[in-house]
Amino acid sequence: MKDQKPPYRHRSLWHMVLAPTVWAFHFVFCYAVMSVACIKLGAPDIARLGVAALTVIALGIIGFLGWRAWVQWDFRPGDNYKHDRPTEAQRREFLGHGGFLLSIVSAVGVIFDALPIFIIESCI
Amino acid sequence: MTDSRTSSHPAPTEEEQAARPVGTYPPTQELLDAPDDPQARAEREAQLREAWKTPRGWRYLSAVNNSEVGTWYALSAFGFMLCAGVLALLIRVQLAVPDNDFLSADRFNQFFTMHGSAMMFLFAVPMFEAISILLLPAFLGARDMPFPRLSAYGYWCFLIGGCFVLGSVLFNVAPKSGWFMYPPLATEQEGIGPDIWLLGLSFIEIASIAAAVELIVGVIKCRPPGMRINIMPLYAWYVLVVGVMILFAFPPLIAGDFLFELQRSLDWPFFDPDRGGDPMLWQHLFWIFGHPEVYIVFLPSIAIAAMVVPTASQRPIVGYSWIVLSAVGVGFLSFGLWVHHMFTTGLPSLSLGFFSAASQAVVIPTGVQIFAFVATLMVGRVKMIQPMLWIAGALAIFTMGGLTGVMLAIAPFDWQVHDTYFIVAHLHYTLFGGLVFPLLGGVYYFYPFFTKRMMSDRLGRISFWTTFIGFNVCFLPMHLTGLLGMPRRVASYSSEMGWNWLNLLSSVGGFIVAAGILIFAWDLVRPKRDQPLAPRNPWKGGTLEWSHDVPAEAWGSRSVPYVSSRYPLWEDDKFLERLDEGRFYIPDAPEGKRETLVTSSVDAEPQGALPITGPAWCTIWAAAFTGGAFILPVFKLYWLALLSGAGAVACVVYWLWTATAQVPKAPDRDVGLGLRLPVYVTGFRAPGWWAMFITMLGDATAYASIVFGVFFFWTARPDFPPEGAAHADATLIALSALGFVLAWGATITAREVNRRDRRRAARALIGAGVLCTLGAAGAMGLALWLPGMAPSSHAYPAIMYALGVWVGAHSGAGVVMLLYCLAGSWAGKLTPRYDADLVNTTLFWHFLCLMGLVTALMMGVFPRLAS
Repeated sequence: MKDQKPPYRHRSLWHMVLAPTVWAFHFVFCYAVMSVACIKLGAPDIARLGVAALTVIALGIIGFLGWRAWVQWDFRPGDNYKHDRPTEAQRREFLGHGGFLLSIVSAVGVIFDALPIFIIESCI
Repeated sequence: MTDSRTSSHPAPTEEEQAARPVGTYPPTQELLDAPDDPQARAEREAQLREAWKTPRGWRYLSAVNNSEVGTWYALSAFGFMLCAGVLALLIRVQLAVPDNDFLSADRFNQFFTMHGSAMMFLFAVPMFEAISILLLPAFLGARDMPFPRLSAYGYWCFLIGGCFVLGSVLFNVAPKSGWFMYPPLATEQEGIGPDIWLLGLSFIEIASIAAAVELIVGVIKCRPPGMRINIMPLYAWYVLVVGVMILFAFPPLIAGDFLFELQRSLDWPFFDPDRGGDPMLWQHLFWIFGHPEVYIVFLPSIAIAAMVVPTASQRPIVGYSWIVLSAVGVGFLSFGLWVHHMFTTGLPSLSLGFFSAASQAVVIPTGVQIFAFVATLMVGRVKMIQPMLWIAGALAIFTMGGLTGVMLAIAPFDWQVHDTYFIVAHLHYTLFGGLVFPLLGGVYYFYPFFTKRMMSDRLGRISFWTTFIGFNVCFLPMHLTGLLGMPRRVASYSSEMGWNWLNLLSSVGGFIVAAGILIFAWDLVRPKRDQPLAPRNPWKGGTLEWSHDVPAEAWGSRSVPYVSSRYPLWEDDKFLERLDEGRFYIPDAPEGKRETLVTSSVDAEPQGALPITGPAWCTIWAAAFTGGAFILPVFKLYWLALLSGAGAVACVVYWLWTATAQVPKAPDRDVGLGLRLPVYVTGFRAPGWWAMFITMLGDATAYASIVFGVFFFWTARPDFPPEGAAHADATLIALSALGFVLAWGATITAREVNRRDRRRAARALIGAGVLCTLGAAGAMGLALWLPGMAPSSHAYPAIMYALGVWVGAHSGAGVVMLLYCLAGSWAGKLTPRYDADLVNTTLFWHFLCLMGLVTALMMGVFPRLAS
């Protein structure tokens, strides 16, 4: 194991913000699906189904990213999780911690965005 | 990285050696402790002082140092804020009593429009940039920002544009349709008011983007060695997030301004429903900018709080990762809320629900940082230093604004209070709590850093309580005024409505706020020459800015430190001594040049010691000509504007040619602590490469906003494209796409060939690239013109032409860059080894090629599929 170079994501800010990026894509696609289905086609059910499908996909990806960030964070009860030392390990754990928290916020955001499809049945 | 490159690896070639750091990193304890010769130290100090000397007399205006430019920037923004505040007072005088005729309705409209526009565009965003330009290098122990002349250019643009826009109020020609300029009101308004708004503010927005680029590059490339991403000060995190937000938020507005101005000057009907346009497109583009804007002004002020709170508590911040999460999370989520400004425009209820939910989700990350601050205060031993008073007031006021924000995110409630004074109350609570209070607290806190003297504690407390009480007297009653039905933006009201005493109360409160701000302003500018110098670290903070020199030195930091903790002043007792004695990196300036250290983006490993630009007049000229290019079209002087634009390009080319990416005398230099660093780097190690990348991200966002316009018309309008409309010529469009790909290929190949030392072939390829670009842009123009598409007849040909104009202008920029490289290659400025200009041009070309191809699809393929 020691000889292996750590993967790029351990030192990548891009990976830390992947989960909210998924939220952003989910958001844009949902908006597009709603606009096209409601205004162009007048079919609210297509809009609701489309958003539901997008939400399942987005939550799946965010779940995976969150799990990977959790592993990278490598949190054990009793550990120092301030990540304030100038070492490679602490930087890796910090980016993991950040990525993990961001995936929780992103998942909440995705779920919030999808809630209206349970309540609103029309395009009016 | 204990530098093993020198020992265990095969010996690097000469070329590699020059491009890579050589020596020991990180510094060992012996190196850090090594004593030095006091005489050599004095010599180095003298060199450095000479290199960083601020110009004197009238040449002072040519200064580009961050401390000078930042101060001018901040004072100008504060001046504009006071002017906008005076407008607010005049508005309050008019509304103090019913049926008042103090101001005519027309003037009242001009005043509230300019109040909002100036506070947003001339105060809130520029103030963030000003304070960040002043502070960021100090937080990072850096000498200066990575592109000092760019800061200066941005400042002069801001000053010219700001005076122009705000000055219009004095000539009774100011815009008067509200700070969000909704069409058709604004497109139909007579006179030059809307043009002043559109062109003047676009000009300032471009300056803002320039500052954002610089701040982002500053955070990711100019951190001191050792300052990994997990120990960077929170302020830098916020600057990074806000910079990126500006990059994605401002371009949609610039694209909107572009379309809007095309409609006003050339009558291309983007927002005219009679000819296939839609005024809602403006609302979307404006609020895609406008909502993130709220967070763009809020986060930097919260960043100040994040620096003051640990100092007041005398302990490290609680939940660093959580605050980072919160900043980044807000940065993302705030882009998903814009429609909550458009709840009453008749969008499908499903969409409303969607945006309503998103508006509430953003409260989670926003709340997290507030809780982290409260937690830090709870576990620390709080000393109620005066700046902390402002922060505490800010938290209280902002929380109230946040609560009404959650109410307004609920669409049915919003329908009730839409366009009433409830909204006015809400937005002032968020902006005063989220911006003004933390900012004033920040000025008190950082004042000893800026000027080496203290502001008055007593005046500060008086000012705080006056402002705080006045603010609540003014704005708390407005909630009720709004619930009682008073619409915003009315010049007068009848006494039967029952709003009299509430309005009178608000007006009185308004003047109390003004008194508080004036006390602050007096404390800020009153002469302090007789006052003793402030102690070096008056609040006992732990971060790098409190290692500043008292009395002031222009070099920013005596030596660029090796940093190994979040609060070096608290945790490393030898830190200051080493810093002051110049025992860290680049403590000297052997060639008399201003230099800065460049480090890797995540782990801050040193990569280079690059020269940076010094005092110059060409930046002021460039700003003046750029101003001409934006301001002259207001008066329909298009040819002069074009000439002025050419002048601006000439100034910028001169500035780049004479001062950036110069071929160095020696490939690397000894930076101290046993390390040698290259003095010229290319590709993603170079700040210039990042600046190009970041600029082009913003540029691509503006382009994407126009493409969004095409799709928006397609969904919102049944006649897009109209039946039987002429489409762009397919063959010519295909040729144009081919031309862009060929030009792109030629540029990339030129870069590779040049590296292999075949300069002639590289030059030929660059020339071919220029010809292909001209051909591609020409073919695109002909493709639109030959089929007889008339842009003023319908929104469909208009937006196709708009795409064409956009790509055409960028092709022009692409040609200029290629010619610059060609000239560089001839003049020996661009060599096989030193090819940063060509590398950056290639990066630009990746984006331009993509734009060309997408435009070809939008013009040639999409309309045929859609109809």
